[in-house]
Amino acid sequence: MRTFWAPIGRLGVYIVVGGVAAIMILPFYWMVITSFMPAPDILSFPPKWFPTHVTFEHFVVAFAKAPWLSYYWNSLVVAVGSVSCSLLFGLFAGYAFAVYRFPLQNLFFLLILGTLMVPVQVTSVALYIQLSKIGWVDTFLGILAPNFASAFGVFMLRQGIKQIPVDVIEAARIDGAGEMRIVLTIIAPLIKTTVATVAMILFLGSWNDFLWPVIIINSAGLRTLPVGIALFKDPYGNINYGPLMAATLISTAPMLIAYVVSQKYMIRGIAMTGLKG
Amino acid sequence: MQPGREGEQSPRPASYPRRTISRLHSRHIFHAYLFIAPVVLLFGLFRVLPSVQTLLFSFYKVELLKDRLTFIGLDNFISLFSDEIFQKATVNTLTYVITIVPISAFLGLLLAVLFNAKFALKEFFKAVYFSPMVTSTVAAAMVWWWMYNPQFGIFNVLLRLVGLPGQPWLMSSHMALPSIIIFSVWKNLGYNMIIYLAGLQAIPQQFYEAATIDGAGPVMRFRHVTIPLLAPTTTFILIYDTILALQVFDQVFVLTGGGPANSTNVVVLDLYRQAFERYNFGYAAAEAMVLFLFILAVTILQYYYSRRYEVAY
Amino acid sequence: MRRASWFAVVLTVLFLTPAVVLAGAAKTITLWYPAGDITAGAAHFADKNLFSEFEKKYNIKVEAVALDYDTMQQKIFAAAAGKNVADVLFVDSSWLPGFLKEEMLEPVADAKAKAWLSAVSPEIVELSDYGKGRMWGYPQYGIDVYGLTWNKTQFKDAGLDPEKPPKTWDEFREYAKKLTKTEGGNITRVGYAIRHVGHPHGVVHKHFWAIYGTGGALIDDPNRLRGGKALIDTPHTKAALKLILDMLDVDKSTSLNFPDPRAAFLKGIASMQISETVSIKARQPKEAPDLKWGMALPPVEKAGDKPVTLLGAWLYSVPKQAKNKAQAWQLIEWLNSQEKDFELCKQYDASPRYKANWEKEPFKSDPYDQGLKQMYPYGKKLPINLGLNGIMDAMGGAIQKVWHHEATIDAALAEAQRQADKAIADAAK
Repeated sequence: MRTFWAPIGRLGVYIVVGGVAAIMILPFYWMVITSFMPAPDILSFPPKWFPTHVTFEHFVVAFAKAPWLSYYWNSLVVAVGSVSCSLLFGLFAGYAFAVYRFPLQNLFFLLILGTLMVPVQVTSVALYIQLSKIGWVDTFLGILAPNFASAFGVFMLRQGIKQIPVDVIEAARIDGAGEMRIVLTIIAPLIKTTVATVAMILFLGSWNDFLWPVIIINSAGLRTLPVGIALFKDPYGNINYGPLMAATLISTAPMLIAYVVSQKYMIRGIAMTGLKG
Repeated sequence: MQPGREGEQSPRPASYPRRTISRLHSRHIFHAYLFIAPVVLLFGLFRVLPSVQTLLFSFYKVELLKDRLTFIGLDNFISLFSDEIFQKATVNTLTYVITIVPISAFLGLLLAVLFNAKFALKEFFKAVYFSPMVTSTVAAAMVWWWMYNPQFGIFNVLLRLVGLPGQPWLMSSHMALPSIIIFSVWKNLGYNMIIYLAGLQAIPQQFYEAATIDGAGPVMRFRHVTIPLLAPTTTFILIYDTILALQVFDQVFVLTGGGPANSTNVVVLDLYRQAFERYNFGYAAAEAMVLFLFILAVTILQYYYSRRYEVAY
Repeated sequence: MRRASWFAVVLTVLFLTPAVVLAGAAKTITLWYPAGDITAGAAHFADKNLFSEFEKKYNIKVEAVALDYDTMQQKIFAAAAGKNVADVLFVDSSWLPGFLKEEMLEPVADAKAKAWLSAVSPEIVELSDYGKGRMWGYPQYGIDVYGLTWNKTQFKDAGLDPEKPPKTWDEFREYAKKLTKTEGGNITRVGYAIRHVGHPHGVVHKHFWAIYGTGGALIDDPNRLRGGKALIDTPHTKAALKLILDMLDVDKSTSLNFPDPRAAFLKGIASMQISETVSIKARQPKEAPDLKWGMALPPVEKAGDKPVTLLGAWLYSVPKQAKNKAQAWQLIEWLNSQEKDFELCKQYDASPRYKANWEKEPFKSDPYDQGLKQMYPYGKKLPINLGLNGIMDAMGGAIQKVWHHEATIDAALAEAQRQADKAIADAAK
């Protein structure tokens, strides 16, 4: 029985898995193919699955219409800024919560975790008003404001630090190392997997973030990639899909390449923490 | 937060060494406060303060340009309850939540079960399924916006190829919300699958062996071993996805902008419009409070459920 | 003593130099305008020498900054709140109620407004005058006038006279039916393309002709800022919605699957559409070089009715928060003088605003300008009520609901009437 059904079962698995995979990948394929197709191919019926010839005209248009390099730069500044601040502050706070006992410890910890319950979708209005009073609207600082620290980062780093045996910290103290040095030179390397995972998830979150940047940014010069791509679409729905797909490809390419290179690691990181970034 | 359990440093509290540092160094109080100061300060300023102010503003008429705050009591909330567009947005958001959450959880579970078996190219397929997850919602939605085009989009072109009539997709007030849901399932599926897979791999093999010895077939084993043992994972997925689905915005903004005829308007989009296009900040704050109450309700639910499972384990 | 006097000299020089330099240096004022080709009227800002004559004459430097159309209104609000807004704003007139609600704009001085209103042609008066001669800015040349455009080749192929656009609703329906093409049950070309998705305001703009063309309106007093009553649940609006609904369901001469009328028209998959004629004029040479098209006033319900079409403009305004108001008005008056109007309209192939300039060539005999001049007298601008946003949302939502078969005409309009009245009342608070 078992030997008879096994190959058929296996075939069924492949058909289902392969079929769903085709659906999952179709949008990516369609994006790439549209951005390299000559304009008449795009609107042809029956559809062309391969371009009659490869063209870069849509990329020329996309680059002429919007400053993609500046969008990359802005996304990068925001992501690097928020990830490094969150990691640095999170490392120290995580260490404090894991190692020390101090008055109001639980209150502070709950306060930090509690912010997870009030996402920026809820606070955006008040935050915007608050930032407009100090002139942070339409600045990098404004984009970064709610992302300077991450509750998730503090939590994960605290959990990581808790794994470290006490002896390690005590030995370092006996050697005369100051607390700051212990955090930066002993703790951080010991939990580098956690640090890297947290960094990756925060980076992904920041890179793809849309709502807050679109609220706080007004100038074209400050747009991040998602904001740039959303506003690249003609408000009147003009049928110019070539340049639009070229622009989408430009904006998604770095993350997709990073994913292809490190997909195993990225998937594991997200599975481990259960967070989407 | 109940993460999966793959990897070397599971965050589950039970697994860290019991020998903590509690007896150590009360003299480090200075360091403790110094170390948490940046986070507490930043969170206080940019998270906690705005949260409190959102609550406050929801009772005011806020005129930013005139620098004027007028206390109007419950007026914002009273208007909200008679605001047909906000009602529509709330109904749409809830419809979105109660369709997408179970569908993507169920499909995620099915795929995870498939992927729990051994087959060639498994890692490759896993990577493919997960790829929408790492793509920005805005960019992915842009591609779908093109695929949904009624004349030239690939979906209708394929339908016409097999002789079926083309669908209006995003152009129709009946189909626009389902179209957004289809997109979101595509976007989310890989994530749910990976989390379920982590849950499946944590189920000890003995349970299955014992069930097989008792004469349970594959379906029985799935129903009586897999599903109950995955319950914590399922709870986590349902709660987490629900909270995120309540905040849906990016794909709606790109695909339909809330139309046609508000058929895809959602709470966060309406809030965004009221605040940043109309400058009705107080009113938008009241909408934010409604959203918060939904999230709060789900969180309370989670609290009760996770307590139940801790007892069960 | 000697040293002391030297010291005094040095001190004097030190203090005087900046004062002299400052007095001699030009003051800089800023102007914001939309980037890209969102309006033909913004084209001249790309010219670096546009202001050089003004800068020399008044010793004021002008810095023109292009903003993105999509976020421009938001940016202006944010900048005004942060008190770093431009001195001159070049803004879409449909944003006006939003700005006025926040009491953000300076009115034009009464005497200046009076002089302007008596010198410009009637359509510019319509766009400038917000009741009893009150002005909030000067409309730019190259105003938007909505018109019916039709594809002459497709008219001919369908056996219609390519020089005769439909004049009445009956003709309009009949023509649209003849022009529609289907293939295997699918409509591949519509006789008339409707705008039914996107921002509700856009939906109302593109259907304004039908609502006003039957004697309907959006509000009882279009020039009243606060209060008033919406006119949505009326027999006129019902008739206007029914016209398109019948074309969708009975005639099957239009479809929900052609969401961008202008693009569809230029692509040859819609034979007629109604929108700003200037955008077809600007896009056709690039996007559809072979297209032969005509433009006319939108059709009326029955022969003898007076057609109505939508007028829109961009305005030069001064925000209350501007730092250099006097200089801002100087610039605006200079740029909108009769001489500049003539000079710029000639250079940018636009229609002038001053009555006197219409008497001069090339405008006097330009066929496109004269075509527009025929349509202008039938133009109407949007109401200015502070609740306009809500009125437009309600009306646009009702139009969408009806055409998408979400609600009957009666139910949708009754609901929209309630919403619009509430918006007017809320805005007046």
